[in-house]
Amino acid sequence: MGMMGITLVRFAIIIGFFALWEIASGRWIEPFLISSPSRIFISLIDGFREGDLLQHSWVTLVEIAIGFPVGAISGIALGYAFGRSRLLADIFEPIIIALNGIPRTALAPLFIVWLGIGLWSKVGVVFLLTFFLNFFNTYTGMRQMDEEYVDLANLMGVKGWKLTFKVIFPAISPYVFTGIRTSIPFAVIGAIVGEFVAATEGVGFFIRMSAGIFRTADVFVGIIVLMIMVIIMDKIAEAVERRALRWQSQKEHVQIQG
Amino acid sequence: MPDLAQAPSASPQNQAETVICVENVSKLFQTPARENLEALLNIDLNIRSAEFITVVGPSGCGKSTLLKLIAGFSPCSAGRIVFQGEEVRGLNTKVGYVPQESKLFPWLTVEENVGFGLDSKRYSRADRQRQVSQFIKLAGLDGFEKYYPGQLSGGMSKRASIVRALAYEPPVILMDEPFGPLDAQTRMVLQDELLKIWEQKRQTIIFVTHDLVEAVALGDYVVVMTHRPGKIKDIIKVPMARPRNIFEIHRQEGFDDAYGRLWNIFRHELNIGAH
Repeated sequence: MGMMGITLVRFAIIIGFFALWEIASGRWIEPFLISSPSRIFISLIDGFREGDLLQHSWVTLVEIAIGFPVGAISGIALGYAFGRSRLLADIFEPIIIALNGIPRTALAPLFIVWLGIGLWSKVGVVFLLTFFLNFFNTYTGMRQMDEEYVDLANLMGVKGWKLTFKVIFPAISPYVFTGIRTSIPFAVIGAIVGEFVAATEGVGFFIRMSAGIFRTADVFVGIIVLMIMVIIMDKIAEAVERRALRWQSQKEHVQIQG
Repeated sequence: MPDLAQAPSASPQNQAETVICVENVSKLFQTPARENLEALLNIDLNIRSAEFITVVGPSGCGKSTLLKLIAGFSPCSAGRIVFQGEEVRGLNTKVGYVPQESKLFPWLTVEENVGFGLDSKRYSRADRQRQVSQFIKLAGLDGFEKYYPGQLSGGMSKRASIVRALAYEPPVILMDEPFGPLDAQTRMVLQDELLKIWEQKRQTIIFVTHDLVEAVALGDYVVVMTHRPGKIKDIIKVPMARPRNIFEIHRQEGFDDAYGRLWNIFRHELNIGAH
């Protein structure tokens, strides 16, 4: 089958799925259980028109916009530091691995206790989920890195910042980008989990509240908003990655889950 | 121990001073089973400025280890290496190193790779640009300045890797079997180019190889090493005139003589009787 054929079949499956959903709703299955594509579409438009969905989305976006970059940058920085310092790695590695064993979303209630039900508890959960993925990917990159590049650069008299940014970071950048991109959906999960636990606004709050009063269509609307957020963030990260890694002819690199 | 400094110099400047003095150097490695492995044993070697030295020996004789010690990648277990009058402690930034694989920085273009060692403090922008384009030209890579290493052929990467080490003009270049993985034709072309570059620049080169013909064809002296523990078995002077014609090296006067002596040593080493 050619590319064209594959695309056609894919679209047929998607359209078939939505058609079946639309038909099933109200005929075979109660609408309050599964809603329907047309109802969801109308709720989506209404949600943004009447304003409060935009407000909820904005709140969630702000939580991610603070927690994600801070988590990613500190994860990358610590992964780099561990890779550079044997001593640091020897002391802290077992501790970090033990901490990583904690199901991190289980800490969300604790963050509410520590940081209140506002913005900062969600930022905390986003940070936590983002940090570890970025840390582990960067640290793996540091350990996989061909030390001969560093030796050669040192021999050519290159050290300090130039070594870090002209040699080490480019060398590990495929791993760093894998970390960033795998952590994007987790950052969104972090924000939502925080909002599920305790919040007065945000898309997670909106989903939980809608489910509580059986407004199933709105639950799906919330999910769609989150999907769109993840897709947009991933597309941005992908564009940056493609630009940064344009020296790489082949795109494949190891996928490490944190 | 054979001593190059006492042998007559092959280089044009007869007053040439000793650049590297390897004094009774040994190197031990620990195997994973905690046994000591003697990679090098009591190596003595003097190398003078502007000489082209080749080092041959069977694989595992420690010839690459010797280069790594001179570069200061790892310390000697015993003895010392004196470089331009100073003992090597830590990285020796006065040498250029051409590793077995090209090891160009794959994220930098050819131009950026070649200019990598040119410190911005020592070279002005214009000087730097001039130096880079001169060496790219020397390597026959003009037109490929903006290419990434991944887009180059094996031979081109090799050339780029060599001029990267030459471009910042360290007084000594260490080459660790640089032409090993190349096909025979590319190899000869690169040997020829290396000699031409060297005729112009006259940096001191220590060139490790396992190929006897290559060792004789390129070197002023051939240092012969024995199997583990690596020791210097002999040092052979190659009495061939320069410039040499790599493509017809067998016909050049002096080749048979040097090659014959070298092969004799290896025959004993390999325990093959005379024909």
